[in-house]
Amino acid sequence: MAAALTALWLPANPNAAISLATGQILSALNFFFLARLVKLFTGAAQVEDRGTAEAMRAKGLLLGGTKLAVVYGGAFAVTRWRGVEFLPLMLGLSLPLLALFLKSIMLAFPAGAARTSRRATSTASPTRSQAKLAATILLAGALALPLALLGPGRAFANDPPTAAATTEVGHAEAGAAEKAQGGGEAHLPNWITIANDYAPDNPIVHWMHENEYLVFAWLAGALFLLFVMAVMKRSAAVPGHLQNAVEWIVESMENVCGGMLGKHLPKYFPFIMAIFFYILTMNLIGIVPGFKSSTSTLDTTLALALVTFLYVQVSGLINLGPLGYLDHLAGSPRDVVGFAMLPVMVPVHLLGEMVKPVSLSCRLFGNIFGEDTLIVVFVGVAALCLKASLMALAVPPMAGITALFMLLQTLTAIVQALIFSLLTTVYLYMMLPHEKHGYEEGGHAH
Amino acid sequence: MNFAATLGLALPIGIGLAAIGSGVGLGFMGRGAMEAMGRQPEALPKIQVAMIIGFGFIEALTIYAFVTMFFLQGKIQ
Repeated sequence: MAAALTALWLPANPNAAISLATGQILSALNFFFLARLVKLFTGAAQVEDRGTAEAMRAKGLLLGGTKLAVVYGGAFAVTRWRGVEFLPLMLGLSLPLLALFLKSIMLAFPAGAARTSRRATSTASPTRSQAKLAATILLAGALALPLALLGPGRAFANDPPTAAATTEVGHAEAGAAEKAQGGGEAHLPNWITIANDYAPDNPIVHWMHENEYLVFAWLAGALFLLFVMAVMKRSAAVPGHLQNAVEWIVESMENVCGGMLGKHLPKYFPFIMAIFFYILTMNLIGIVPGFKSSTSTLDTTLALALVTFLYVQVSGLINLGPLGYLDHLAGSPRDVVGFAMLPVMVPVHLLGEMVKPVSLSCRLFGNIFGEDTLIVVFVGVAALCLKASLMALAVPPMAGITALFMLLQTLTAIVQALIFSLLTTVYLYMMLPHEKHGYEEGGHAH
Repeated sequence: MNFAATLGLALPIGIGLAAIGSGVGLGFMGRGAMEAMGRQPEALPKIQVAMIIGFGFIEALTIYAFVTMFFLQGKIQ
C-alpha cells in the first residue's frame, strides 16, 4: 500500500513522494535496529555466563551506535533538506509504525501466554526484576523514538505561527535570558538556548534549538537507560541500595496494578512501567537548572496519551473481540431498558473514550508547565530586583521560595507520572473483560 | 468594553472559580479518604490509590482552566 502511495504521488509531486519513501525507510530501519537490540538485551538478561554477556553488551553498543548514526543522521539530513514536505514524511514514518504496532500486538497475544507464564514461574530468581526492567526500558525506548520523531519537531516546523513558536523566535532574536517573563509563555534558558545565543548560525545548534523538547526527550530516555544499565550491571542476589530502591518501585507498582488487572497483569505491566519511568525521567529532568521537561509541551504529552489510547483500544479489541468491543461501547445492554437506551449510550461512551487522551495529555502538560512557569516567574522577579540593585532585599526570599517550589515540583513530577500510569491501568481495567461486576461503567465518561 | 479587557477580567476570575470548585472537591475527597483510612488502616494502600486517582480527576478540572488561560493569555495585548 505504501509503495503504491509513493508511486501514485511520484509524477504529481516528486518531493512529497520522496518524503514519504524516506519516512518509511527511516521508520523501518529504526524498527530493524530496535528489534535487534531487544533480542540482544533480553538474551543478555538471561545469559548466566559473564563472558558471553560482555560480548553481547559490546555487540549491543555497536548496534546502538549504528542505529543512532543511521536513523538520527538520516532524520537530521531529512530535516535539513529544503524540499521536504512534512505531511507525507509523517505519514511515511507512521505507516510502518502502525503496521508493526498492530502486528506485534496480534502476535503477542496468542503467543504471549507461554512467555509470560514462564516469567511468572521464575519469580524466585534475582533476574526477574532485571527482565522486567529490560522490557520496561526497551518499551520506553520504542515509545520515545516514534513520538519524538512525530511529535514536537514536526509541529514546530509545520506550524510556525503558533504562540510557542513565535515566543521561541522572539526569544532567539532577543538573545538574552530574563525577558522571557514578558510573553504569554515564559521559558527559562537552558543549555540549548545558551548555545544558540553563542552560535546562532551553526545548523546543528539551530536544529536543536528548534526541536529542544525532542532533544530533551531523547536525553531523558538515554539517561534512564544509562541509570538502569548501571543498576543492572551491579545487580546481585543481595541487592544494594540502588537496586533495592528500583526493585521497591517496581514491586509496589506491581502490587497496585495487580490489584486492578489481576491475571492480565503480566501482559500490560511492562507498558505501564515504561510509561511511568519515561514520564518520571522527563519530569524530573526539568528540575535540573539548564534542562527542560519535555512534558511541558502539549506535543509530547499528546503523543504519549495517543499511544496509550491506541494501546488500550487495541487491547480491548483483541481481548473482547470485535463484537464484544462493540458491546462494550454500547454499554453492554442486557435487557429492554438497555437496548432502549442504546442511541444515548453509544455517543456517551464514544465521547468518554475520546476524552481520555485529551484529559490525560492536558493534565500532565498543565501540571508540569504550571510548575515550570511558577519557577520562571520567581526567578524573573529575582532577576528584576537584581537589575534594580535591590539584591539584599529581594534575592534571598526569592531564592527560598524558588527552592520550596522546586521541592513541590519534585512531588508533582512523581505524582503526575504515577497518575498517568495508574489511569492507564484504570482504562485497561475498564476495557478488559472481568468476571465480577464490581465496577459500574456507565458513569465513567468523566 | 473591548475583547482584551473582557479577557483580562474573565481569565483570572475563571481560574479562581475553577480552583474553588476543585478545592471543594478535593476537600470532600480527602475527608472521605482520611476517614476511611482511620477506620480501616489495613486497607490503606487501596484507599490511597483510589484517592490519588480521584485527585487526578478532580485536579484536572482546574488544569483545564489553567491551560485555557494560557491559550487565551496571548490574546490580551
